[in-house]
Amino acid sequence: MAQNEIGIKPAGKQLVITRVFNAPRATVFKMWTEGEHLKNWWGPAGFDLNIKQLDLKAGGIFHYSMGSNGMEMWGQFIYVEIVPPEKLVFINTFSDEDGNITPSPFMPGWPLEVINTVTFEEEEGKTTVTIKGNPHNATEEEYKVFESAIASLQQGFGGTFDRLDEYLVSLSL
Amino acid sequence: MMRRDVFQGIADPTRRAILGMIASESLNVNSVSEHFDVTRAAIYKHLKILTECGLVKMKQEGRERFCEAKLDKLDEVTQWVEQYRKQWNQRLDNLEDYLATLQSKNKEDGTK
Repeated sequence: MAQNEIGIKPAGKQLVITRVFNAPRATVFKMWTEGEHLKNWWGPAGFDLNIKQLDLKAGGIFHYSMGSNGMEMWGQFIYVEIVPPEKLVFINTFSDEDGNITPSPFMPGWPLEVINTVTFEEEEGKTTVTIKGNPHNATEEEYKVFESAIASLQQGFGGTFDRLDEYLVSLSL
Repeated sequence: MMRRDVFQGIADPTRRAILGMIASESLNVNSVSEHFDVTRAAIYKHLKILTECGLVKMKQEGRERFCEAKLDKLDEVTQWVEQYRKQWNQRLDNLEDYLATLQSKNKEDGTK
């Protein structure tokens, strides 16, 4: 059947980003979980990160503002799972000062909430950080489109999406 | 809402398959429906939804109706993916720099 030839992939795809850091994972994990460190790298370059709240526990919140030249944006994490120094799962959203979720100023209309699963693996003193992202609390349609988009990328709609392939790997369910 | 329309358009595997087929060249409705095990009426329904989403444009040429893919709207999705990737890479660059600074500081202090 042509439908199979076109090769619709099964669902269960997500965005994956990895990076190797030249430091033991206990150190790298600290960078991700302690306010004094987070404020030095989490915000975009040129922005000052101010922490309103950082409560590192499941269900706890990291609420911060990022400011530059009078412009201010608020964001927050809702921690889902914390396994030092191996794993960190949190929902990241833009928000207002009171912690209400708001659309991304960069991509209004796209998933309001993204759930990130970050894992830390150490080998010979180096730490591989892997970030897997998925929309969270999306409507079923939004969720499907996210997966469809990734499936489409792999099919290559006329090559438009080829360049993105490298960022996408399949999630083994 | 425009984005919902695009979502609806590609949420269905048959519709994705149709888009895949006509992405590189326009096909007439018969050629499209021949590729599927479902009725032509079902294919018409999918094409109607795709048209309403703005992902397909139907063109009458003589006695035949051609389906043309309009994939610009899918750019929303790729833009989001790009944005997501860019943001993370910038952040991870920041972290790399910050870690390097910390490590060289520690060396100077002789603490590590």
